[in-house]
Amino acid sequence: MTRLVRSTALAAATLALASPAVVAAQGAATASKTRADVTTLASDRLGGRQAGSDGAKLAADYLAAELKKMGAQPLPGQKDYRLPFSFTAGVKDGGTRLTVGTTSFARTTEVQSLSFADNAEVSGAVVFAGYGLVVPESQNFGYDSYATLDVKDKVVVVFRYFPEDADQKTRQILSRYADLRYKAMQARQRGAKALLVVTGPRSPNAGETIPMSFDTALAGSGIVAASVSGDVAKTLFAGVKDKSLEDIQKSFDSGNPHAAGFALPDVTVTVKTAVVREKQEGFNVVGYLPATARIALPKPWVALGAHYDHLGRGSHGNSLATKDDAGKIHYGADDNASGTAAVLAAGREFAAKAMRARHVLLGFWSAEEIGLIGSNAFVTTPPVPADQFAAYFNFDMVGRMQDNKLTVQAVGSSPGWRPLIERANVAAGFELVLQDDPYQPTDVASFNSASIPSLAFFTGTHVDYHKPSDTADKINYEDLDRVVSFAVALASRVGEQPDTLAFAKVDQTQQSGGGRAGVRLFTGTNPDSATDVKGLLLGGVIGGGPAEQAGLQKGDVIVQIGEQTIANIYDYTYALEVLKVGQPVKLVYMRGAERRETTMTPSARK
Amino acid sequence: MAGMRTAVALAVLACTLAIGVAAQDTVNQERTYLTRVRRLTVDGRRAGEGYWSPDGKRLVFQSEREQGNPFYQMYVMDLATGDTTRISPGMGKTTCGFFRPGTDEIEFASTHHDPKSKQYQDEELAFRASGKERRYAWDYDPEMDIYAYKEGTKALTRLTTARGYDAEAGYSPDGRLIAFSSTRLAYDHTLSAAEEKQLATDPSWFAEIYVMNADGSGQRRLTETAGYDGGPFFTPDGKKILWRRFDEQGLIADVWMMNPDGTGKTQITDFKAMSWAPYMHASGEYILFASNKLGFENFEVFMVDAAGTKEPVRVTFSDGFDGLPVPSPDGKQIAFTSSRSGGGAGQIFLAQWNHEAALAAIKAAPLRKK
Repeated sequence: MTRLVRSTALAAATLALASPAVVAAQGAATASKTRADVTTLASDRLGGRQAGSDGAKLAADYLAAELKKMGAQPLPGQKDYRLPFSFTAGVKDGGTRLTVGTTSFARTTEVQSLSFADNAEVSGAVVFAGYGLVVPESQNFGYDSYATLDVKDKVVVVFRYFPEDADQKTRQILSRYADLRYKAMQARQRGAKALLVVTGPRSPNAGETIPMSFDTALAGSGIVAASVSGDVAKTLFAGVKDKSLEDIQKSFDSGNPHAAGFALPDVTVTVKTAVVREKQEGFNVVGYLPATARIALPKPWVALGAHYDHLGRGSHGNSLATKDDAGKIHYGADDNASGTAAVLAAGREFAAKAMRARHVLLGFWSAEEIGLIGSNAFVTTPPVPADQFAAYFNFDMVGRMQDNKLTVQAVGSSPGWRPLIERANVAAGFELVLQDDPYQPTDVASFNSASIPSLAFFTGTHVDYHKPSDTADKINYEDLDRVVSFAVALASRVGEQPDTLAFAKVDQTQQSGGGRAGVRLFTGTNPDSATDVKGLLLGGVIGGGPAEQAGLQKGDVIVQIGEQTIANIYDYTYALEVLKVGQPVKLVYMRGAERRETTMTPSARK
Repeated sequence: MAGMRTAVALAVLACTLAIGVAAQDTVNQERTYLTRVRRLTVDGRRAGEGYWSPDGKRLVFQSEREQGNPFYQMYVMDLATGDTTRISPGMGKTTCGFFRPGTDEIEFASTHHDPKSKQYQDEELAFRASGKERRYAWDYDPEMDIYAYKEGTKALTRLTTARGYDAEAGYSPDGRLIAFSSTRLAYDHTLSAAEEKQLATDPSWFAEIYVMNADGSGQRRLTETAGYDGGPFFTPDGKKILWRRFDEQGLIADVWMMNPDGTGKTQITDFKAMSWAPYMHASGEYILFASNKLGFENFEVFMVDAAGTKEPVRVTFSDGFDGLPVPSPDGKQIAFTSSRSGGGAGQIFLAQWNHEAALAAIKAAPLRKK
């Protein structure tokens, strides 16, 4: 890998020598602190750096070599820069089987384990529990599918989702508790032996088993759980003579809290789940530049980090590639070769300093894209105790700066951040967007959870996000280098001052219960999360998706869906939860200063 | 200087944001004149009114950023190092700082001598803690007086003592004179019933423009018209004073210019809106100011030729409040106060200023309608 970089640099130098005009034109480019690293990391050879892949291993080798080159050492007590951790890279069904009386089902189109199920074989009588929804009493709403049922040692069967025809307010509440994991937990707490989920005939994806979504949690949910097809459901409900499954679903669909489930007559089932979790080994790559001062300061470590993994060829379901581009290398130049290069560049600057009052840790995390797994593994069993860190600085997607705008997140993690940021930005000169929230979908969340004052740098999302088109040629290197200088100034200040920053816990935005899994619609929008715009600013729309068909485009700001006004991304998420697949909804948006109205028809998210 | 400017501004911020929706394309329109827009102040709840030192290397501004005082204090920021120093006593309310050319003095207005200062601070903090909200309103505190602070000795000298709000001050380029605004007329005689009512509803109505020597001597009144006259600044050549004049109702304001002795008063804008915070560009060719021409709660920066013969040209296109434009002494940058970063309160921003584009736009602007 080292050779690869050198040859890139040489190529650039040769080019420059060949033509003075090119030198002039590319002056800034050839002098970039980050271009060579981004180009290497986002190359074909590294294949998109999916955690656990050969490409990620090559990337780890490269990072280890660069750490060594700049004079960084493995962490105290470690022999290697590479710190291995194990993670679930995928799940598949290893032969789930369901027997109703004498009839057995074993095809995945008939019965399939839920990805979080425990593997076991259980038998029992069957109780139907409606949608299997329980709204906590604290919500003062009063909906409990189990209120009149005894499910102890029974197999519970429930509908997927939540009542289809309920009024908007009811849907809004119930949707939050409709996550399958949450439903499984409720069944388990009531002593059920197993949970079977059927997608009702009146719901989207009617009668289909539920695809095994990728679930990185290593632990199961403590209960046998599977989805069954409409045909299997018919067999289970065969003893209910006077009503079809559709009639039964309809009786629950108004959201009436008094609609009650019942024991299914004359049926016992045996279900055997078989979830195969593919374990893989990933590597965080971590080194440090020791403090030069003799007197150790309190909290003697400052850390800078970035995830270096990306999506490989996008096989894990978080790719946003169009059909034509599916399966191609997702280069991840911005996400997150840019941040990785920034940490390397910052490390080289710290390495060149004559004096360091605190140790400077340089961390490169893996398996971020599938749930912050690498950084979580690091803070869970840290080689350096978490309380020894004065601060952590995260870089994730910092290579696409536009209009001088730099988003700094997790500012609420310490009251000391704003004065420091103000001071550093006098020289750096960014149009800063500050967000207090540390609960971001990036590794800063892991360090915040370890009570370390943290900041995350971000230059905004873009149309190439999570697509093969996120390539090195689109990186704004000049401004990426400015982000490095800004971060080095901040980290130096924190590293040198004897006082430490106080950690502040930011209240987490209320999003309990089911969470995102309640979202089952596809609108084809790509919200721009790095904005304080009132409404939902679209960073892009997915080609051919409902939003594009409704005439929406990048830069539009959605301000109303149905009767729900939209102030932020949470409002948007909740608004989506109460929409119905295939049912057109009024959508109001701003294009520039013009207020426009259109109709969008959401489709089903698989 | 312009305590009131900020008052108008912040009173409307919440509403501006509530109706505001980003118009991404319009941001690009701003790039004609403003590039490398950057947020200068980050610390604290709000900041505003940034004015350059004569060498352009520092900025004096007001900010609420220290625990225990919910009012503005004055700070000086070094634009090379980012170091910020408070220059006001920390107690009471302050506003409107300005560097005195050729000296190490900085003037600002303050109420810290008022024995009730601490009580007012505690009351305001208690009010905030109660969770209640009020529309921000500049209160024209009659205790407000102008002080000169010497950076070398840190000594503070009181320049005005008359009861009434004395603030919004700016030095002449030679450092010998201070132009300011004062409501002392409301306190120097027994008020009639009509005047009492006026003072209770809108004390700014009494504000007139004054000048004095830099040591506080020779205070003399320059304006005589009913309605709020405020925000006077000398032009870079020292030959004129720019200010804004409100009508009697306090809704319409326009930019005016006069000689430092009060003669030759000339109306520069007739924009039929609240146009205020005028400041002459270093070239002397045009005046930057803020106006709510585009909607009562939508302030933007505009510019107009120095003679006021043309229609003003719009400069900013961002959501929320943009105002208090102050070009740097070399004319290549501007400092302004804006709510564009969200959060409802103003902060100070800097941007590179495209003088050539500004000149071209003013040249192309249509003549002012008579």
